[in-house]
Amino acid sequence: MTGRITIIISSFWVVAVILLAIFGPLAAPADPFSPVGEPLLSPLEHGPMGTDALGRDLWSRILYGARQSLSAALLATTLTVSIGTTLGLIAVLYTSWLGGIILTLANAALAIPGLLLAMLFVAAMGPGYLTVILAIGLGGAPGFIRLSRSIFAQIADEGYVDVARALGAGKLRIARNHILLNAQGPLLSLATTHFAWAFMGITTLTFLGLAGDPSIPEWGVIMNSGRAFLIDAPWLAVVPGALISLTILAVHHLGLELTDRFRPRG
Amino acid sequence: MVPASHRTQTHFLIDIAKRVFEGLLTAWIAVTLTFFALRAATGDPVSSLLSQGLATVEQAQALRTALGLDQPLTIQYLDFIAGLFKGDLGLSLYTSQPVDQIILQQLPSTAELALSGLISGVLLGFFLGTTAAWKRDHWTGKLASSLSGLSTSVPVAFIAILALLLVGMLGQQTTGNLNFLGYSGLLPALVLGITTAGPIAKVIESGLIESLQSEYIHAAMARGYQKDLRLLWHALRPALPPVVSLSALEAAYLFSGTVVTETVFSRPGLGRLLLRSILEGDFPIAQGLVVVAAIFYTLSHLGADLIAMLLDPRLRDTT
Repeated sequence: MTGRITIIISSFWVVAVILLAIFGPLAAPADPFSPVGEPLLSPLEHGPMGTDALGRDLWSRILYGARQSLSAALLATTLTVSIGTTLGLIAVLYTSWLGGIILTLANAALAIPGLLLAMLFVAAMGPGYLTVILAIGLGGAPGFIRLSRSIFAQIADEGYVDVARALGAGKLRIARNHILLNAQGPLLSLATTHFAWAFMGITTLTFLGLAGDPSIPEWGVIMNSGRAFLIDAPWLAVVPGALISLTILAVHHLGLELTDRFRPRG
Repeated sequence: MVPASHRTQTHFLIDIAKRVFEGLLTAWIAVTLTFFALRAATGDPVSSLLSQGLATVEQAQALRTALGLDQPLTIQYLDFIAGLFKGDLGLSLYTSQPVDQIILQQLPSTAELALSGLISGVLLGFFLGTTAAWKRDHWTGKLASSLSGLSTSVPVAFIAILALLLVGMLGQQTTGNLNFLGYSGLLPALVLGITTAGPIAKVIESGLIESLQSEYIHAAMARGYQKDLRLLWHALRPALPPVVSLSALEAAYLFSGTVVTETVFSRPGLGRLLLRSILEGDFPIAQGLVVVAAIFYTLSHLGADLIAMLLDPRLRDTT
């Protein structure tokens, strides 16, 4: 499906963003919290990217922001995958009433669109990074439960699982040694695709101002603060927006490639 | 003996009744989840007014009584559900206006935006998807396919910003005021349409590719059909039911898109109302909006399923 070149470029981009998140703050030329010069300097007048409305170095804020955006999305994805996998597995192992309840609740939660569900959490807990991470992490769980359950259900139907059961293996042993072991590939592709969604969700919520303190550099926050100066300093909003979009696009392509690779044969 | 056609008709009705029941159950659980999630986390919303110094202790107590917050949670829940049936969603914490009225005030603006967004999204998605499948081996098809991929990956916020920037720069060039584009709703609707188009295009693309490879199309071509509009119509027919159901689902999801679009374009509407109520801590409004969205989503989901069952006979005898 997706071309080889697309995959190579996507991998390079994802690695670059990860490196940026890890080492970026060390390489930042200035403090992202305090002004370095006049506000709204153009990239030609100052550094590689100019300054924002408060005279802070945009390049430094982008570098620090990479860590904030990426780690938030990573934490949210980890939360979604752990909840989704656990409950999905339980729904397959205990097909009777417990599985039914889990699925019914997941379906009902899916009746609230993801972003709205996330905003509901923010409404309940008040703005902040922890809230945004929890909101996206928990908001993604119902969908992940359904998807992981269908992966597990397919594996649980395989002959070797029946054999293991006939040999007297308990539910825990079957879950660990057979179902989870064989679901690693599809789960990885699911988690990758989900990360793209989480990254978009996190940056959308922070863009809307739901992360609280706007002085903390984060890509969605930076894009939002550039919104008021679109004509005079378009790069303030365009640079973080483009970085967010490219990252989502790259992760999305990697997810598609993994899905292709781990698609069950036959 | 019951005639065969009769029997399938009864089955069909039972299927519909089952789907309606499932839909109602889902809506009820979603509403209940919303109610308890907000109550459990916020505890007493009036105390936030107290801590902000917006109310005295006596006023807060009066407000608690007025909002029914001094009642046990189960009574509050039953009141809330009973109110729902009467269209009563409670009162705003700040203005004491009924929430249903506030929502109704803002509804037309958002409905207009969402509807025009959906229409432009379906049109654009149809165009991109058909082109991608029909011209699959040509560069135009590949371009259409990657454009629809792009539309799902680029956040609404960034598309909106790019659109504003483009119009702003054009406005500078022509020294004319192009702000009317934003206010007339054309630009926000287009932005929403672009984000909606991606999934629709993908469904049309895969459906059309599949039916173009099917035997009846090969047979039609063997009988001398040219690869023209007539053939396209034949091939599109089986690809349409999923598009109809997807469009109905997208209609519900558009609400998330309007939150961002209304914020960026400074348009009044439900999306901005939700954002403001969350940032201000006016939880009855937030709760009312989420409940309305959940009910609307469930209903459109149900509608989508019923339309798909009507359009596609294969879906009718699944039981």
